[in-house]
Amino acid sequence: METNLIIEGFKFMALGMGTVFLFLIILIFMMNVMSIVIQKFFPEPKQVASGSENKQQDNKKIIAAITAAITHHKQG
Amino acid sequence: MKSFVIKLLALMFLSFGALHASAPASAEALSTHQEETYVSQPFSEMITGFLGSTGIAAFINPDPEELDPHGKEMSDFHKSWGRIIMILVTFFLFWLAIKKGFEPLLLLPIAFGGLLANIPIAGIAGDHGFLGVIYNMGLANEMFPILIFMGVGAMTDFGPLLSNPKTALLGGAAQFGIFGTLVGAVALTQIGLADFTLQQASAISIIGGADGPTSIFIATKLAPELLGAIAVASYSYMAMVPIIQPPIMRALTTEAERKIKMTTLRHVSRLEKLVFPIMVLTLAILVLPAATPLIGAFMFGNFLKESGVVERLNDTLQNSLINTVTIFLGLGVGSKLAANEFLVPDTMFIMALGIVAFSVGTASGVLMAKVMNMFPGHKVNPLIGSAGVSAVPMAARVSNKVGMEYDRSNMLLMHAMGPNVAGVIGSAVAAGVLISLFQ
Repeated sequence: METNLIIEGFKFMALGMGTVFLFLIILIFMMNVMSIVIQKFFPEPKQVASGSENKQQDNKKIIAAITAAITHHKQG
Repeated sequence: MKSFVIKLLALMFLSFGALHASAPASAEALSTHQEETYVSQPFSEMITGFLGSTGIAAFINPDPEELDPHGKEMSDFHKSWGRIIMILVTFFLFWLAIKKGFEPLLLLPIAFGGLLANIPIAGIAGDHGFLGVIYNMGLANEMFPILIFMGVGAMTDFGPLLSNPKTALLGGAAQFGIFGTLVGAVALTQIGLADFTLQQASAISIIGGADGPTSIFIATKLAPELLGAIAVASYSYMAMVPIIQPPIMRALTTEAERKIKMTTLRHVSRLEKLVFPIMVLTLAILVLPAATPLIGAFMFGNFLKESGVVERLNDTLQNSLINTVTIFLGLGVGSKLAANEFLVPDTMFIMALGIVAFSVGTASGVLMAKVMNMFPGHKVNPLIGSAGVSAVPMAARVSNKVGMEYDRSNMLLMHAMGPNVAGVIGSAVAAGVLISLFQ
């Protein structure tokens, strides 16, 4: 066993970390490309949020009407 | 009725008598059976015989003929004091799991398995004992870690990683823990302190990935004789993440860095989450097929979850399957806590190297985040770098907790989940590299 194990260890490290980073960098690149493609060509259908907005507006109208009625009643 | 019973008894006696009579004639044919035939003996001898088979006698005066489960010689120390020490060690593990709440889901089955494995005479961890059967069923062939990986995949949400892909680099940097320890282990061998082969050193170093199933997978493949120590080191350090990591994180960051606020994560569409597992697997197939058993199982679980159409299977993977396998995995690993396998000098080195691996992994994750901040773009809070060691989701919670200590409004949990899940992929890749090097 004349091989220098420490040098072997460093070789493993270089190869291993190289592969890990290569893998993740390609993955990051692919993730970015995928999100651009998907957002451009397959956007998620926008959720219909107008319903609740209308309701809120209705509520505001009702509140306004009630306040008006109360002030009118107090004044009268 | 009564007469019928009497007749039956009489018949049995007669047949036994016949058997006895014919026994000498067919002695050769029945030689195995003959040893089991009961020979009448005086009561005093029965008592001494029974006392000789008690646990007390076995601990005090071990049977010199007893062999370990693999048929090798065992030293007297391992048969008597070694077992007592290991039983006390398992009591200590119970205390850690119950009183301190250290990863009880795994530590309790492992510790109880260890307790059972150290019982003399019963041979529970032997090839025909139930722990031995469990071990051969799923650990000797790497089955259980793969099943666990499926469950973990089904529990993982890649959303935070997809919304901030560059944090994957942190999960990569933390793998320095693995390869740094590999160098450390071979250095110990080189200077003559320990005697690890390259395979054994690699199996030990994977503890730095902070990923229990991956550690077990690699250990069974490269160095099955060290499995017990590696699994125990791996899981006990994972449980101690909240103690080991914060001091390292504080030492390597400035107060201003710890207060960095990160931009809110964007919404990730369902389609992106669905494509992602297939994308990772494709990349693994092209770059590193040796890592595909782990990554494939992981992505299978994740794909089932994100598909949204197999809720029943997803539920089974996340709950019943992973729970069942965890029990078996724990007991199987525990069977390797038998004194003759665990109380060896190597174990001490493995525990020491394991904590070095963990600390180096944490430190390199944090340092990588600081390096990333030197480049233009959104700043990264270096505290999430420590989450690059896999230990999902514990490491991410630690990042969040330390961050909150310096700024109550700084929620880092979701940001830390990105490097955390990338760390799982990273350690699976590192494992693949190690396997491919020895094939």
